[in-house]
Amino acid sequence: MLTCDNYLTPSSLDEAFDAMAEHRGHYRIVAGATDTLPWAREGRAGDVHIPAMIDVTKIPELRQLSVNDNRVRLGAATPIQRFLDDRSLVRTLPAMPRCAVWFADDQIRAQATVGGNIVNASPAADATPCLIAHAAEVELAKKSDGNIGRRRMTLDQFVTGPNRTALEDGELLIAIECDSLPGYGGSFEKVGHRRSLVISLVCLATLVKLDAQSQRIEDVRLSIAGIGPKPLRLAEVETFLRGAAISPERLEQAADMPASFVASRTRQQYRREVVRGFMLRGLINASRSAGADLTMLAPELEVACA
Amino acid sequence: MARKRGRGMAACWYGIARTAVIDRAAAWAELDDGGSAKIVTGVTEIGEGILTVLAQIAAHEMGVKPEHVVIGDNDTARAPEASHAGASRQTYMIGNAVALASREARKRLVEVVADAWGVEADTIRTGNGEIWAEHTNHRMPMGEAVHLSKSRGVVPVGSASFGTDTTGLDPVDGSGRPWQAYVFGAQVAEVEVDTITGEVQVLGIWAAHDVGRAVNPQGVEGQIEGGIVQALGQALMEDYKLTDGRTTTSGLAKYILPTALDVPRVNSIIIEDPDPIGPLGVKGVGEPAMVPTIPAIMNAIYDAVGVRITDLPATPEKVLMAIREKEQRNAMQA
Amino acid sequence: MPDLQFTATINGRKVSRNGKPHQRLLDFIRDDLNLTGNKEGCGAGECGTCSVFVDGVLMKSCLMPLAKAQGKTIETVEALAKTGELSVLQKAFHKAGASQCGYCIPGMVMAATAALRANPFADREEIKERLGGNICRCTGYQKIFDAVEMARDVQNGSLPATALFEDEAEEGDFIGKNIRRIDAPSKVSGRLKYAADMIMPGLLHVQVLRSPHAHARILSIDTSAAEAMDGVEAVITSADVPGEDGFGVFVNDQPVMARGKVRYVGEAVAAVAAEDPLIARRALGAIKVVYETLPAVFDPDEAMRPGAPVLHDYAPDNVTKHIPIRVGDVENGFAESDLVVEEIYSTQPIEHAYLEPEAGLAYVDHDGVVTIVSPDQNVTHHRHMLARIIAKPISKVRFIMSPVGGGFGGKEDMIYQGMLALLAMKTQRPVRLVFTREESIVSTAKRHPSRTVLRMGLASDGRIRAFQMKMLCDGGAYGLSTEGVMRKAAILAAGPYVIPNVKIDTIGVYTNNTPSGAFRSFGALQTAFATESHLDICAERLGLDPFQIRRINAMRDGALTHTKAKLGSVSLTRALDAVEKASGWETGAPVSRGASRSDLNSDEIRPPCALGARFAAAEKQEAAE
Repeated sequence: MLTCDNYLTPSSLDEAFDAMAEHRGHYRIVAGATDTLPWAREGRAGDVHIPAMIDVTKIPELRQLSVNDNRVRLGAATPIQRFLDDRSLVRTLPAMPRCAVWFADDQIRAQATVGGNIVNASPAADATPCLIAHAAEVELAKKSDGNIGRRRMTLDQFVTGPNRTALEDGELLIAIECDSLPGYGGSFEKVGHRRSLVISLVCLATLVKLDAQSQRIEDVRLSIAGIGPKPLRLAEVETFLRGAAISPERLEQAADMPASFVASRTRQQYRREVVRGFMLRGLINASRSAGADLTMLAPELEVACA
Repeated sequence: MARKRGRGMAACWYGIARTAVIDRAAAWAELDDGGSAKIVTGVTEIGEGILTVLAQIAAHEMGVKPEHVVIGDNDTARAPEASHAGASRQTYMIGNAVALASREARKRLVEVVADAWGVEADTIRTGNGEIWAEHTNHRMPMGEAVHLSKSRGVVPVGSASFGTDTTGLDPVDGSGRPWQAYVFGAQVAEVEVDTITGEVQVLGIWAAHDVGRAVNPQGVEGQIEGGIVQALGQALMEDYKLTDGRTTTSGLAKYILPTALDVPRVNSIIIEDPDPIGPLGVKGVGEPAMVPTIPAIMNAIYDAVGVRITDLPATPEKVLMAIREKEQRNAMQA
Repeated sequence: MPDLQFTATINGRKVSRNGKPHQRLLDFIRDDLNLTGNKEGCGAGECGTCSVFVDGVLMKSCLMPLAKAQGKTIETVEALAKTGELSVLQKAFHKAGASQCGYCIPGMVMAATAALRANPFADREEIKERLGGNICRCTGYQKIFDAVEMARDVQNGSLPATALFEDEAEEGDFIGKNIRRIDAPSKVSGRLKYAADMIMPGLLHVQVLRSPHAHARILSIDTSAAEAMDGVEAVITSADVPGEDGFGVFVNDQPVMARGKVRYVGEAVAAVAAEDPLIARRALGAIKVVYETLPAVFDPDEAMRPGAPVLHDYAPDNVTKHIPIRVGDVENGFAESDLVVEEIYSTQPIEHAYLEPEAGLAYVDHDGVVTIVSPDQNVTHHRHMLARIIAKPISKVRFIMSPVGGGFGGKEDMIYQGMLALLAMKTQRPVRLVFTREESIVSTAKRHPSRTVLRMGLASDGRIRAFQMKMLCDGGAYGLSTEGVMRKAAILAAGPYVIPNVKIDTIGVYTNNTPSGAFRSFGALQTAFATESHLDICAERLGLDPFQIRRINAMRDGALTHTKAKLGSVSLTRALDAVEKASGWETGAPVSRGASRSDLNSDEIRPPCALGARFAAAEKQEAAE
């Protein structure tokens, strides 16, 4: 059970930083609360008393959404559901809808925020690898000597390990910016013990852009989570595939590459097995979604992963 | 194809009511004012639908409508003993007791009305809130008949006890008569196994179960559908984990239950082989509904991918690793 | 802590009250406004029973700190039938038989309402996806989907409103009719009160201190600091039991609270009654228990070995119950067999996971009758036991069953009603205990895990000559229903088959694990898993179709069971025929022939779930625009 003395809802960044300074050492930042409340329960953190809860979701800058064909900027308090119901996000972040539809359920998606998910940095957090595939960057802010200073880093630099990020004491995650990729095909592969509200063991986000004839891979992004302490961008595999024609040989070779990266502490063998299949499936699904006609190009591939 | 389909089947049997011990249940019935009726019995509704079943039985026997049957609370200080919710026993034990009690209440009323109309009691018919005498013009609403009875000093009440003729088991060879009613069933499962992840989805189940006599077929289906999904949970995903007596699955995030997206389409076939002993012919279905499900699913997985899971649950990891082991064995033999 | 000044519009009315900063929206609507339709099934956002609309968007209110709802427009389940008439969706739930225990139903009705608001033409796959955040443990969901489709069709005119009415029954013949459930309206509207929804004037709140150890002697319990806390009315331990302390289903081996020693993690040790649950919870921390840990045993094989820690003095070998079944001579039977197959099967402990966690109230009435109100599957037996425990005549003990939000055997055991009775007696005030989901999982009975060695001998024509099974079950720390589960499992283990030589042994053993108890199908599920899997293994070796091998061995009318009871009519072959026909089963030995069989993929199965059903609908809509 979570108890607190004060539940604060600052309506500006200044107010938030002032509250953080006033309650220094005795506060917790909360966004959607969908991770915090389940955490403060028996079997996990148990009964937790936090003198000041500081809820950042009423700060206007954290709720802003800005989308164009070059860049997408998501305020940290953007609910996950936006990836499903905002058409501009669906168009420009092609792997996110499938990632989002696998994320918990409708009710939780309406409350959980992309910023909260990233800062919590659960190894099972699915949005993170997907955003990494979109070359996401985080914008952080901190107030010192009365001034709000900002810094940026890539999302894969920001997440440093299971439940660990580079967020400093007194710092807030303000926004996530990433590539806008209309015209790419996206896919999201995930395995779980059931089809909804499921914690994933391994997940893979794939984005593919095809050439004008829809036969060559002009660009590809691959990001995987669950095979190591943090999500990985599979840069070597991407290089191997960029510019290549879609062929079974090429895709199978690419699929073989990540197995050596699997360094998880548990169920290692299973994750290795799954990764190979996911690579193929992810590339096929993303290619198809990008407009490739696989029945013409590589019929045996289509069948193998169906 | 990475996704492989298969089918499996299994059969079952089950005993109805308490095991190897004499079971019993009692009920009180009253034909009440205004075309309504009262049933009081220690009935334990836990969602299986027994209240509705009893209302139907009482309505059927006493000649009123089910929506006008009022059932008293399960209160040890206000209701006669009907024992517990378990052993798939309530339709059998309490249903039969309610039928007998209702018949006694009806009999009391019918005797008075027959006398008032000057007809033989066995020509009186009741149904849907009305009472009439065959081949005559005598007909009135039940409420009026009850009023008539009461004005003659007879409150139409009835009571009954229904018990089973069972014995304990011999301590050496187990011989004995643990139940007087048995049911039988069989199920077929169709599954899809994803050979890339090891995930199993159960797409369809056909379930044929003998219930003796179905009082409420929709309720019987509900028991079959619900039982099957509980069994599916144990087959594929549920696992209460303990290490040195301490659980790591203390919440529903770790102890995972089937969601709306995990369940098969269930096709139920109700079989009626009436019980010859009880007045209604009913038996039960709550537990038998889930007995064949797990082996049917495991047999279906074997049909799909040739792996035999003998240790539950059949998680994606277990299934995938079993598939890989089989491939390696085949490769070595080749 | 300062109060939270909270203002919002709830079910159409403006509400302005003080709340507490740590409250969740769910707590406020249930405790402060007495809107108890929405429930706390888990408190961790997993079950959906708390789902309410916040500014028109469905959210899980157990995950919403109250301040987040400041100034918002909230709709709880009570908003749907505000005028007293059920909504179309609620009526459809009633008509389709979608409500069983009813505990998930208010949240489910809200999720279904949200689904049809989002897409009034949602197909079955999209409906499933939108209900993915709501768990039901009773119905298997099928009739819930039927209900939502029915409501959709009535709302968009493809079904007439009369489709929601009760079916007519000719001549008062109500047996065999789909009469709508008489308790469904109270459940779909959220009006039915379960124990955790009930309040009484002067109510005290109870919390239970539970053992952190699997096996330990209790050297001392000091409750003085807890008793001295402001707002605490009473604290009890086993010392407060006036009569014979011990309850159980078959053996009264379980004390109301641990006496002398604790035998499993989560066992009740003490209980507090206080003015509010938070004070009661804090008081638990002030109870000082000194334990001396004892060696513990967690494996049934180990528990039976000489020298293993003994849990109960009356059972020095830790065997709770052993049930043998013997027919003929299995050794001869195996010797006569053309095929002998042996295999080991194991099953895991399973949690009942009814959507309603345990809860109950108790009070001593004006006649001195100690009254317990709880979702209790066996009030009859519990009354007997409690009377003995609190040393009162039966006429002064009363058990009232509150509506049960799911049981499945898990609410068979009297594991908290004794504490409620003692606190009601000690304080002379009504008391209420509501378990958290975690407390329910940790402390209550599980389905017996099993390890079964099965050996079957068959003739080459498929007839079973010998059946030998030994099933070992971990019964956990207390007896509960272990004896009954072993007995039922043994009687049914060999299946509905005529077998001349049978040797079955089912053994339930005490360990320091969570107790195993009654769970729907009571041991027969575990043995059927073994027997029915085994028959397929044997069928494959003999080249027989699975239906065929069962028909060859099937009991028929007048058969003798393995307990030598004579059956009357036996409907097994009818069931086999019916399901074979209905499924369109293609005959063939179970040689893993899925790739080549032709009876797959009929229209009586559902499509595999790949998620994303709503994308198809959205694409259609975009194309149309």
